[in-house]
Amino acid sequence: MTLLTWGVILSAGICLVALSALVARTFAFRAPSSLAATQGSAARGMRYAFGAGMLPTAKESARDHLMVWVTGMLYHAGIFAGLFYLAFTVIGFLPAAIVAALRVLIAVGAVAGLGLLARRIALPHLRQLSCADDFAANLIVDLFLTAAVIHSFVPTLRGPFYLVAILMFLYVPVGKIRHCFFFFYMRILFGTFFGRRGVLPHRGVREA
Amino acid sequence: MKPEPINAGPLEDRVEALKPDDLTRALEEFRAVMTRDHAAALASCVHCGLCSETCHYYLATRRLDAIPAYKLGLVASVFRRHEGLLGKVAPGWVGARTLNHETIKAWIDALFGRCSLCGRCALNCTMGINITAAIRAARGVLAALDLVPPGLKSTVDTALIKGNNMGISENDFVETLAWLEGEMQSDAGFETARMYVEETGCRMLYTLNPREVMFFPLSIVAVAKIFHAAGESWTFSKDGFDVTNYGLYDGSDAHAGTMSGRLVTSMERLGAGTLVLAECGHGFNSNRWEAPQWLNRRYPFEVKSILQVVAGYLRDGRIKVDAAQNTQPVTLHDPCNLVRLGGIVEEQRYLLRHTARDFREMTPNREHNYCCGGGGGQLAMTNYADRRLEAGRIKADQIRRTGAKIVAVPCHNCIDQLMELNKHYGLGVELKTVCELVANALVVEP
Ligand code: SF4
Ligand code: SF4
Repeated sequence: MTLLTWGVILSAGICLVALSALVARTFAFRAPSSLAATQGSAARGMRYAFGAGMLPTAKESARDHLMVWVTGMLYHAGIFAGLFYLAFTVIGFLPAAIVAALRVLIAVGAVAGLGLLARRIALPHLRQLSCADDFAANLIVDLFLTAAVIHSFVPTLRGPFYLVAILMFLYVPVGKIRHCFFFFYMRILFGTFFGRRGVLPHRGVREA
Repeated sequence: MKPEPINAGPLEDRVEALKPDDLTRALEEFRAVMTRDHAAALASCVHCGLCSETCHYYLATRRLDAIPAYKLGLVASVFRRHEGLLGKVAPGWVGARTLNHETIKAWIDALFGRCSLCGRCALNCTMGINITAAIRAARGVLAALDLVPPGLKSTVDTALIKGNNMGISENDFVETLAWLEGEMQSDAGFETARMYVEETGCRMLYTLNPREVMFFPLSIVAVAKIFHAAGESWTFSKDGFDVTNYGLYDGSDAHAGTMSGRLVTSMERLGAGTLVLAECGHGFNSNRWEAPQWLNRRYPFEVKSILQVVAGYLRDGRIKVDAAQNTQPVTLHDPCNLVRLGGIVEEQRYLLRHTARDFREMTPNREHNYCCGGGGGQLAMTNYADRRLEAGRIKADQIRRTGAKIVAVPCHNCIDQLMELNKHYGLGVELKTVCELVANALVVEP
């Protein structure tokens, strides 16, 4: 294994540990209590939060911005594909069919990411809501995806690809990309909050 | 994030007068009100902006500072500055802000002045962030600094000092009930109906919004008639009758706990079985869902909305109704704290389907319904009245589209706001509580 390969493994490890530490750090704050008698079901609420509750059918914000939602989904699919591709290159297992499939997903993800970046720059309110980190996070991930696609065609460019991957892993915990961990935390809270109160999943039209 | 020029309105001078010690105290309070869930929420926003159009303030004004993520960002930026790694070393990079005079002004202006704590953004956030809870927590910091806008502060103070938010004395309350009892008994079929006060061992202790006593006595009579028709065992407490809780809105758990604690004391003193909450959105959310946390105890009794109770009567055949008594087209307003944040969704619909000939839903409805704009203490904060009416346009449009002549409103705060919207936007509708419509449709044996 080359030094850069070790660098990728180490930075990914640091990233995971730092993300876990960030989540654990929230536990330095007091624990919220939940003493009111439950009306619905926290478990059903959670299932909903990770299932139907993420779809545009359930969420007005996604429904009214369907293109953005779809672009976001493609972006994230591309990122997962990129991470798989990176892992495959590290372990040296690269069947042509898998590489071809991942390449398409990663390329689409890169274009989607750049589309979201363009949206952030173009819409005045979104631009004003954003800070440098929002742009940087997007750019670093786009760079990673682009490097992955290029590497899939030109395997000799492993060095730059790995350097970008290391940079990305080290940036993840300090900037907004930490939402890759906090997303799950938030969906659990969302599901338990609305689930316990019997608001979600929607009970549908029924006799009281 | 670039905030537009802001000021703290009537609190401007008080904010300017804050000393470094006060700001240190504010930061300590900030840390104290934060739970681990808040802390996680404040680290989670991805600035996607998709929550913008979920907020009626933004829909009505299209202002940056009306966007939920902007309001959340005001709180999150302070969290990042004082608790985050990059926020400490490179605050500009991650949009971190120090908790200083300008930040506090921005908090007052946006968190009190442009939010009704309706929860609609929380329902729709891409991540699932409870934006509303974070905003309320930050309001709590302002409350600890005594920086609550004057109208809301005086409402809270009145409730804390006098025992209810209108400052009604025990004598006045009991006398008003006696007068209402006489009026009620003059209606055919209700000659023996009673307004019970301070009865012990009843199945139910009923609470109300003090505004009913002052301005909407027919709402009280309606519920008493339904209880009578159902043969219910019920009572008022002479001192613990106020269902409202403006501590939910000023953000102070201590204030809120004191108010809800009075109802618990009345329940225990009178030995009632179920605490029944009047048609009041925030009163329901406060006393059903939040108060056990404020008081740090599980309730040994049930807490129900009057809508659950009355729906139960109808389902069990304890009351009979005739929809022919309500022939005008009726639509239903879903109070945020009762429905989206409270989980009372279908009971009111069940009742209206049986008591009104022509019941029409608004679009959107149930947990997706728009806030009327009167929640979050907005009705009390008169310095933000123009914003409140402007934001209420979304609800006014919703009502107009139904073509209904009557709006059933299971919340007296919402009724106050809708009365103003009715006038301001020329809606030409009548506003009634659900129980008023049920009482009007009651079939009683002479
Ligand atoms: S709680 Fe309601 S009023 Fe406040 S920001 Fe969210 S949607 Fe807007
Ligand atoms: S939808 Fe949620 S994550 Fe997106 S900007 Fe709004 S608060 Fe932030």
